[in-house]
Amino acid sequence: MGQDTGKRGIASVGGYLPLLRLDRSAASKGLQFSGLGGRNAGYRTTAGWDEDALTMAAEASRHATSTVAPTRICFASTSSPFIERGHASMLLEALALPANARTIDVSGNRRCAVSALLDALLGQGDTLIASGEKRPVRAGSAFHTAWGDGGSAAVVTDDGSAALIGYASLARDYVDLYSSREHPTPYAYEERFVKETATRDVIAPTIKAALADAGVTSADIAHAAICEPLPGMWRDISKATGITAPNHASDLSAAAGDLGAAHPLFALALALDAAQPGDIILLAGFGSGCDTLIFKVIGAVAGAAKARAALTQGLIFADYVRFLSLTGTIDLDWGIRSEFEQKTQATVLERYGRDMIGFIGGRDTRGNVQFPKSRIPVRPDADGPEPMEDMRLADVPAKLVSVTADRLNFTPDPPFWFGLVQFENGARVMMEFTDADADGFKVGDSVAMRLRIKSHDKRRGFRTYFWKAAPALRPIMEA
Amino acid sequence: MASGIKDRVAIIGMGCTVFGELWDKGPEDLIVEAFEEALADAGIARGQINAAWVGNALDDINIGNSALPLAHALRLKSIPVSRVENMCATGTEALRAATYAIAAGAVDFAVALGVEKLKDTGYGGLPLRTKGLANDLWMPYGSAPGTFAQLAGAYTARHGASSEDLKRAMAHVSWKSHRNGALNAKAHLRKAVDMETILNAPMIANPLGLFDCCGVSDGAACAIVTTPEIAKGLGIANPVTVKAIQLSASHGWEASYHEWDGSSIRNTQEAAKRAYAEAGISAHDLSMTEVHDCFSITELVTMEDLGLSAEGSAIFDILDGRYDNNGAMPCQTDGGLKCFGHPVGASGLRMAYEVYSQLLGRAGDRQLANVDFGLTHNLGGQPANSVAAVSILGRLN
Repeated sequence: MGQDTGKRGIASVGGYLPLLRLDRSAASKGLQFSGLGGRNAGYRTTAGWDEDALTMAAEASRHATSTVAPTRICFASTSSPFIERGHASMLLEALALPANARTIDVSGNRRCAVSALLDALLGQGDTLIASGEKRPVRAGSAFHTAWGDGGSAAVVTDDGSAALIGYASLARDYVDLYSSREHPTPYAYEERFVKETATRDVIAPTIKAALADAGVTSADIAHAAICEPLPGMWRDISKATGITAPNHASDLSAAAGDLGAAHPLFALALALDAAQPGDIILLAGFGSGCDTLIFKVIGAVAGAAKARAALTQGLIFADYVRFLSLTGTIDLDWGIRSEFEQKTQATVLERYGRDMIGFIGGRDTRGNVQFPKSRIPVRPDADGPEPMEDMRLADVPAKLVSVTADRLNFTPDPPFWFGLVQFENGARVMMEFTDADADGFKVGDSVAMRLRIKSHDKRRGFRTYFWKAAPALRPIMEA
Repeated sequence: MASGIKDRVAIIGMGCTVFGELWDKGPEDLIVEAFEEALADAGIARGQINAAWVGNALDDINIGNSALPLAHALRLKSIPVSRVENMCATGTEALRAATYAIAAGAVDFAVALGVEKLKDTGYGGLPLRTKGLANDLWMPYGSAPGTFAQLAGAYTARHGASSEDLKRAMAHVSWKSHRNGALNAKAHLRKAVDMETILNAPMIANPLGLFDCCGVSDGAACAIVTTPEIAKGLGIANPVTVKAIQLSASHGWEASYHEWDGSSIRNTQEAAKRAYAEAGISAHDLSMTEVHDCFSITELVTMEDLGLSAEGSAIFDILDGRYDNNGAMPCQTDGGLKCFGHPVGASGLRMAYEVYSQLLGRAGDRQLANVDFGLTHNLGGQPANSVAAVSILGRLN
């Protein structure tokens, strides 16, 4: 392509990490007797029980779409919760985007978001690529602490501030770990094989081809976002390619964990945050081959600073058993109260589901906003049915009217916080709360809305989504 | 113009089972026991019963749908029998239906019976919902203590009260109910508990500790009603009469409109206002109350909602002993939901049973000296979405 030919580029990015950050040394301590586990430095982002690949991709997308409304939506993940239910369609509804947008899910390997990004850059239309991962891993496996949970997003437009100036792809059925429907958790192959051949045969050749395509050299790269198949491979990749720029993908692995399909776009966001206009950035995604993209930074890219801030906005925890429970590696007996039926009726979901996942309330003819909508408004002087205009509440500031930490009610991560939330536009909703920090919640607290799993019907493998109130500001991590 | 039903309905018989974890009794046993006591008290033949209403809140794990469990248990011979349900206000709802039937002149003798068999769930507390319908897509799955605990923070925020004072007042509410329950042979919990134990109990839903919460019980209560004229004909010269019976239900204002501050229960206020008007009395004319103390914070807030304490002063009235058995306005002389127990569909009628007993001087060790009017307050749902029933009972003359 070359530096003067790339026109389409990245207009905005998003990065989302769960509140909880496991201190990896806690896992090492818990596993000390066994000699199992992996690295014990840094933190491992840990999704709440009510988060999954979709919710984290949605949160990242909210950052990336605050200034652009895409007409194409691509969801990328290797841990999509559903087999037959389009995540991109759900994402579209969660973001309240027009239903005539084109949607597609991509998967198959952890490179998929980068592949989709490249397709978008070579295609047409304002496109959102959103990725989320919450990958199942068995306790004791090195992946359990090396991997993390999170979401990332990028929006591609014709005039994006980071323009594509070169790329290269390599397709290769390269098996560095075993994971399938029959065995969803990763089964690792010998590390030395991966470290030696993945760099030599897959990553380095693709990077070199992309550099050539862009007409730049390794020395021209100011920031890299090169995903390592395994922790600690960056040094060999750097040596093989000659790139000495800081690799934000490695930094992300240390601070949060390997985010799988969400990793490359998050690392790209970090690179964009660190870059100056004129800088050249190299992005490489690995998995069943490699895609390498080279960008020239023209100006600031929206959302990049927020992605960086997410690295340190969290709550460190060292409770290894809680970590095991949250990651689904132990199945605690929560007693009879946890047995309640959570079946979702498809007919009900069809009638009300869009208003739920989009958090759409209604504004009556006198301007009062309520949730959910009703035929006769809740407004005390309403005297009959009125038409209601859709009003999205997801981004409306709100405060708590009442609150409690319920320790009787079952929740997979007690206590169960809930209460009455008053929105600035007049709406109020009795809601569940999430992401409690050490101080919990109290009346008058400012809260922000987060898309979360509302009900999880394990019997039928189904889940519904709704919004929950979270503290408006997250704590800053103090190591 | 409606004139209300004051003194148009007499209660001539009441019955109430022991409440508790009645492992060896089924719904039929409970129904029959409560009814037979009421029937004997009324002094009429069972064949004279013209209509019956059964109140039962949680049919899924309970007595079964419809009126048939009552009709079968009592072998009511082809008379009109209906089941009513209004969450925890179900018992009063059954009484309201029977009372209105008498007041309307539709029948001579009607039965209201509330029953609940809750201890077949396998755990404490109320059964969990099993619907999967529209509200489940967004409403929190909060427990009953969780929904009522919301009152506490909102109350302290509104009145500037300290959390410590509130906690002590709530503890006093429970301390009082335990003391009263110890005097009641039919109560589920009959053990007095000291303040320290209450204050240091494990937390259930902040700031409600274990002793701030009533449990759930098995039990039944029953009333037989007729007209004062028929009662006199039966030799009851000065029967207990219904002075008022009112109900107020949420229409969504609290949880979906921006005015409510979460610190009080408007349906209690509305039902009470109408009940006082129907009875032609004020709050200060009452001799006693039996209120819906599902949680200690509920009783505290209810004292204000009923107009018995000024806004923001219930904490201090409670701590001063105003609502103790020897106080100016005794509340829960029978131990209340907290200690008599809470078989949901029966609770409203259990409250009426205590007021009826006090009015007739039958309350034994807990009998109050002078009882002219007694109020029952039966609350269903949660503060943000409730049904409140308030009734006032007294003597005809």
